[in-house]
Amino acid sequence: MRETGVREGHVEAGGVRCRYQDAGEGPALVHLTAPRGSSLTPAHRLLAQRFRVIALETPGVPPSPEVAATLAGALQSLGLERFNLMATAREAATALWLALHAPERVLAMVLEAPAAMPGVSREANLERRLPALATPTLVLVGTRDDVAGPSPGRVYKALMPGAHLVFVYDAGPAVGADRPEAFAEVAIDFLERHEAFVISRAATVIHP
Amino acid sequence: MKVSFFETVRYLPPEPLPSEWPVPSGTYDREAGAAAFRGVMERLEYVEQLGFDWVSVSEHHYSPRILTPSPIVAAAYIAARLPRIKIALLGPIVPHSNPVRVAEELAMLDNLAQGRLIVGLLRGTANEALTYDLNPAEARQRTDEGMELILKAWTEPHPFGWQGRHFRYRTVSIWPRPLQQPHPPTYALGTSRESCEFAARHHLGCGVSYGPFEVMARATRYYREQCARHGWQPTPEQIVYRANMLVADTDEEAHALLRRQPDQAPFVMRAGVREAMLTLDSRNIAGQTRSPIVTGALPTTFVGSPDTVVEQVKRCRDVVGAGVLDLSLHPPGAGDLEPLMRALELFGGKVLPRIRDL
Repeated sequence: MRETGVREGHVEAGGVRCRYQDAGEGPALVHLTAPRGSSLTPAHRLLAQRFRVIALETPGVPPSPEVAATLAGALQSLGLERFNLMATAREAATALWLALHAPERVLAMVLEAPAAMPGVSREANLERRLPALATPTLVLVGTRDDVAGPSPGRVYKALMPGAHLVFVYDAGPAVGADRPEAFAEVAIDFLERHEAFVISRAATVIHP
Repeated sequence: MKVSFFETVRYLPPEPLPSEWPVPSGTYDREAGAAAFRGVMERLEYVEQLGFDWVSVSEHHYSPRILTPSPIVAAAYIAARLPRIKIALLGPIVPHSNPVRVAEELAMLDNLAQGRLIVGLLRGTANEALTYDLNPAEARQRTDEGMELILKAWTEPHPFGWQGRHFRYRTVSIWPRPLQQPHPPTYALGTSRESCEFAARHHLGCGVSYGPFEVMARATRYYREQCARHGWQPTPEQIVYRANMLVADTDEEAHALLRRQPDQAPFVMRAGVREAMLTLDSRNIAGQTRSPIVTGALPTTFVGSPDTVVEQVKRCRDVVGAGVLDLSLHPPGAGDLEPLMRALELFGGKVLPRIRDL
């Protein structure tokens, strides 16, 4: 869907031409999506009110340190030195590899319904390295996610010192599509405040 | 001097637990938990037999340190099992509760306990804001309004509405009312100027905890000044001091016990949360700013042989003005029961009879 305020482009990563969509102003938020998955959703539009959202289609190969290094280079060529990182489903592992590859460049991460590779229940090589990853990370899992379910998120939460696990009620694996406002609110709060997002700032004054 | 035993449910984890708060609830050991809860009544029957005036419970969450997240449930259970001792709820965390519900449950409890209920109302430690998503910047105001609404719900004869800042009800008319009239002995717990002023304005008691006598005395002095401003004087029994006590046969033994205590702060939050909390949560002692976060272990202000402890209690009475001591005879979180039972025996036999008439 083309819309005003959305810039579209391509960037090369490992010999593959990857499409991206770019909307909004503010600190950079890179969303790693599956190929042909970069169409902006209502959640993206909410995020774009606070961030410059760059939805980047990955080359569509299994997550690995090499893919992550390639993507890091591609983002560099887009002029993105430091950025927030968001990833959906199996791209979550790519995001984690990227953060391990260039921890100084990834400010914070949001992992939406992380899922392992089909047929792979655990990613031992990745998991071994997660305890050393200090990147503030928010894992969002829908309570109706019957694809990967909460297991991958629980693993990340258990292994990563800076991880937070939040269940989004009544959402399936496409958390941001199912409940865009709920998704965007907690993602923005986390990206802006990192672990201090656990402290409520909600005002309850009815009448002054 | 009256004495209260602070019951925290002594949970002895089979393996050391992470010190960070919240403690993962998946590490809860059911057997250890069941044993801890079984131990409560055995201990409290002895506490009553020794002549303690109150047993107290408090509200803390997400941690094995104090296993009474709903102190009202604990209090109801204890009240049903012990016939004489007073049951002190010190106290429900007011700002993250529904004040009308708190008023109802406490009134119910006072009836169940046949008028043996003591109530302390408080704001809660900084970490507890995270428990039910309480905005720390609003906690003080919500506490004051909630406390006032609880008192109103206990005493107002007709159905009423409440047009508050933080709470709004069109209809309140609780049943049962408390058995004690106009309501159970009630304390505003805390050292803050706001808490002392609230207590003074509403003729409530004041409760302070853990700090050195001279520091706590600043709050109790301010409280008494405020009471005088409102035209009344509190009795000694209206000032409670909660503290850790390590009593042993000799001073040397008590200090050796103290040295063995882990130097660990209660409810340690992650650094980023703690830093943010420091900017959002503000606390004071009688108007003088203090940090909202406790670093290091809570002090043990009574430590030594029975003779030494008796002298310390006298000093506490003189300096703080407290007429009730709410004691942890072994710091909360310590699951080791042997020294606790030994301390109880020693306290009951050699300290309590000598401080009774202070």
